[in-house]
Amino acid sequence: MKCKLSWLRIAAGGVVLSALTLTGCKTSDDAAAAASQMAATSQQLCSYYKALQTTFQQTDELYQLNEQLNSKPYTAENQQLLKNNEAELAKRAQLATDLSSLSEGFGALSASATPSNVASAASQVEADLDKLSPVKASSTEQGALKLAVQQLASAVQEHKEREAAKAMEGAAQSLSDLFAKETEIWNSTEQVYSQIAANLASSLVDANVTDNGAVLEVALTPFGLIRNGSIGDMNGKLAPVAKQQITTKKAAMDEAYRSATDGMAKALAQMAQRIQALADGKPMTERRAPLSLATVQAWVTQVNGVANTLAPASGAAASPAKSGSGKAK
Amino acid sequence: MANALENVQATFLNLDGQYNLLLAACRTQADRDALSARYSAAQSAYEDCADQLLEDDDAAVAALSTQLTTINKQVSALTTQMGDISKVLTVLDQALKLGQQVMSCLA
Repeated sequence: MKCKLSWLRIAAGGVVLSALTLTGCKTSDDAAAAASQMAATSQQLCSYYKALQTTFQQTDELYQLNEQLNSKPYTAENQQLLKNNEAELAKRAQLATDLSSLSEGFGALSASATPSNVASAASQVEADLDKLSPVKASSTEQGALKLAVQQLASAVQEHKEREAAKAMEGAAQSLSDLFAKETEIWNSTEQVYSQIAANLASSLVDANVTDNGAVLEVALTPFGLIRNGSIGDMNGKLAPVAKQQITTKKAAMDEAYRSATDGMAKALAQMAQRIQALADGKPMTERRAPLSLATVQAWVTQVNGVANTLAPASGAAASPAKSGSGKAK
Repeated sequence: MANALENVQATFLNLDGQYNLLLAACRTQADRDALSARYSAAQSAYEDCADQLLEDDDAAVAALSTQLTTINKQVSALTTQMGDISKVLTVLDQALKLGQQVMSCLA
């Protein structure tokens, strides 16, 4: 749990700091563009975390299926551990949403914001940070962020716009760094989801409860043909092909996720660089949100597409808490 | 962080992938219960590890992680020993013990 809250704190700090940076910009158009891009990036960050939450919910369902079908135990304690990790994602998604809203709000204020407005916003974020204090975090990161927010508030109240913008740089970079720092943990949870799903799917093929004729569609569909509903013995013959399809699609799922994570990391890093440039008094040359956000969106769409397909039969949103432990039978 | 978490993850996923065959090889309810307990322990170790967002830049953790990498090679081939479930359980216990040591170093 070493960097969980520190991430939240820095993300929250990033919102305020980015807002304050706007007052340090010489050109309101540049400030508005930065705010808009930060809002878009934050919104995509929220979508990223929500899609990951979906994989947690599906993992929970897979474990429950495994318990019923394959006698793999899934204790209430282990379910709670999974739910705890899912809850951490929910916090990050909410913070990213707040970050996006605040960025949009400050973007709208950029042309007319007054120091008192921004100082008030800084105070509000300091209060938000204090609310997060029950969760442990790196003391170094906590201290640095607190100091940055205080310096920002002070700089704005003293009309030291450049100092405020400079103070924001570190926080924006920290947000990017901490996302990168957490990448491995989220990579791992996605890999567990995809592997558990693949293992279960493979066992269902072995149990001959799958319609393996679906793999024939690649040969039939181009010619407008539909396979016979009953393929008899051929179902068994197609089992190795079905298993290969599981392996191939699992690899594609993992790759899509890795691309999305890389894209998100690059987008956050780019935003940190752009904000730094603004703080250094350089013009905002890029008017679009980071292009790598497109790979994030592609993965989010893929995950949500699968979730929507499953929705009628899935209990993901209301997965019941377990009360007992599994027993091998 | 990566190596420690990856190794604990590998123990769990390797066991998950072979669980059905190993369970079928168990001859007694005691063996099945023992295997089931190891599965729960491996899953718990993974979820705990993920929860703590481990960092394995510590030398002791790195050494344990290396040992876990080695034992995971045996875990990935448990089905080759399923004629003797006691050996399977021993290998799993070694992997789980190393996982616990990693966790205790980082707690």
